[in-house]
Amino acid sequence: MTAAREAQAEMLLRKSVVPLNSDATGRFLPWLVAVMVYLAALALVSAMAMSKIVTRWDHGLSGQITVQLPVTENDLTEAEIATRRDDVLALLRQSPGVLSADHIGRDETAALLEPWLGQASGLSELPLPDLIAVEIDQLDPPSTANLTARLIEIVPGATIDDHQRWLGNLLNLARSIEIVATLVVFLVGLSAVIMVVFVTRMGLAVHYQIVELLHLVGAQDSYIAREFQVHSLKLGFFGGLVGLILAAVTILGITQLLGRADTALLPALTLKPFEWLVLAALPFASALVAMLTARLTVLRTLSRIP
Amino acid sequence: MVRFQDVSLRYGAGPEILDRVSLDLAPGSFHFVIGASGAGKSSLLKMMYLANRPTSGRISLFGRDISTLSRHDAALLRRRIGVVFQDFRLLDHLSTLDNVALPLRVSGQRSEEIRKDVVELLTWVGLADHLDAKPATLSGGQQQRVAIARAVVSRPSLLLADEPTGNVDNRIAERLLYLFEELNKRGTTIVVATHNEALISRFNYPVIRLVRGEVRLEHAETLIRSSDMPPRAPADQGPRDTSLPDDGGPGSAG
Repeated sequence: MTAAREAQAEMLLRKSVVPLNSDATGRFLPWLVAVMVYLAALALVSAMAMSKIVTRWDHGLSGQITVQLPVTENDLTEAEIATRRDDVLALLRQSPGVLSADHIGRDETAALLEPWLGQASGLSELPLPDLIAVEIDQLDPPSTANLTARLIEIVPGATIDDHQRWLGNLLNLARSIEIVATLVVFLVGLSAVIMVVFVTRMGLAVHYQIVELLHLVGAQDSYIAREFQVHSLKLGFFGGLVGLILAAVTILGITQLLGRADTALLPALTLKPFEWLVLAALPFASALVAMLTARLTVLRTLSRIP
Repeated sequence: MVRFQDVSLRYGAGPEILDRVSLDLAPGSFHFVIGASGAGKSSLLKMMYLANRPTSGRISLFGRDISTLSRHDAALLRRRIGVVFQDFRLLDHLSTLDNVALPLRVSGQRSEEIRKDVVELLTWVGLADHLDAKPATLSGGQQQRVAIARAVVSRPSLLLADEPTGNVDNRIAERLLYLFEELNKRGTTIVVATHNEALISRFNYPVIRLVRGEVRLEHAETLIRSSDMPPRAPADQGPRDTSLPDDGGPGSAG
């Protein structure tokens, strides 16, 4: 009989003391967390994509200059164009600070223009300049002005584009977007904290009598806080998981759309395993934020009870 | 055990509820606290179970000055104090067993020990068949027993009862006091706040009378003369019925 009662007692003792699951205070919390994690995930992906663009442009272009040899000033034969090109290539390859110099063929030049002009059939008819891609030593770059002066002696009207003007502007824009995305993630986190504080305070108000009783029978503040923080942890994790799934669907959708756009201007939205890991950590982060916020809110409130 | 030195209490800017109260309750003693409504009985008890702190004066519990206690130590001290609240304060969503187990759970006892102690105690108070019953389904008398079981489950050194006889008839009230007397004999210090002078005159224990926030120490015998209830005869000191009936309590529906 006693054994049966103790077995019955075991079943009964598993209940949470503060019935947070049965009241309405935290009912909407998971859905609000889901929306926030969704926004945070998209902002994070934007920041990651921007970071990639910045890195790609920065690394790809800062070590390169382009030499343009005009072809429209005189009616030059193909042989003459090839000769002066070879002279320029020889000069460049001998110049200190130049690692390599390669001619960009006409077809290649046309391909570079495609994103702007499309696959127009008349592209090959355009008087495109003769381009030479020069890779320079970033640690000991050649003087652009001196190089230009020497090039003009061989080909009047030759110019050097070191990409710095437009590269600088683009990098500034990309970095600004990156900062804004990071700020969005921060603001979303802050909103989540405020929301959890509000929900926890409501829970404390609704269950004040239970909290006071626990306090009077000798519960440590941390014991009472645990009741609330475990509840918030569960809600935060569930909400975070829903938000992440929705964000993953959206990101995959955008990736598909970018793939179809087939343009060199837009970056390919492919995430590295580490970046997927960062996104996968979002539900854990939201659960942790919810748990810590609830704990601190309860401890702060309890400190006012003598 | 409990020492008050010039303790005063007021709530906010209100009047003084207790005015320079001094008292000293020895370990293993049994005291009644009496006084008219609003005399400060509950406030006095609240300070004893650390729910209120005095506006001025000094309170020592178990030899420790409560003003110097950390929150952690205050919680540990509360575990040595059992309280029977006037309104029982049972948690409606918890079973009888969980309500009684509450002080043991918060003190971190293992489930096996809790089960054993609580089932044993509920058997003792006659509620072994109501382990999973919710308070709302219990009669007033049963709720009172659950409240008492919760107060004594952690074997407190000090048991405080606030108007436990408030809404019960004299027969049940007397049995309740016999029960407290039994606990007192096992070494528990008991303080019972009540306004039922007729009842306490039947028990030969010291009385703390609160009059307009001040304390007067009396002896139950002095109350006998003004009471219409006869004192217990020496023969009454023998075996007595400490069981509480299932009805007649304040929460009784019947």
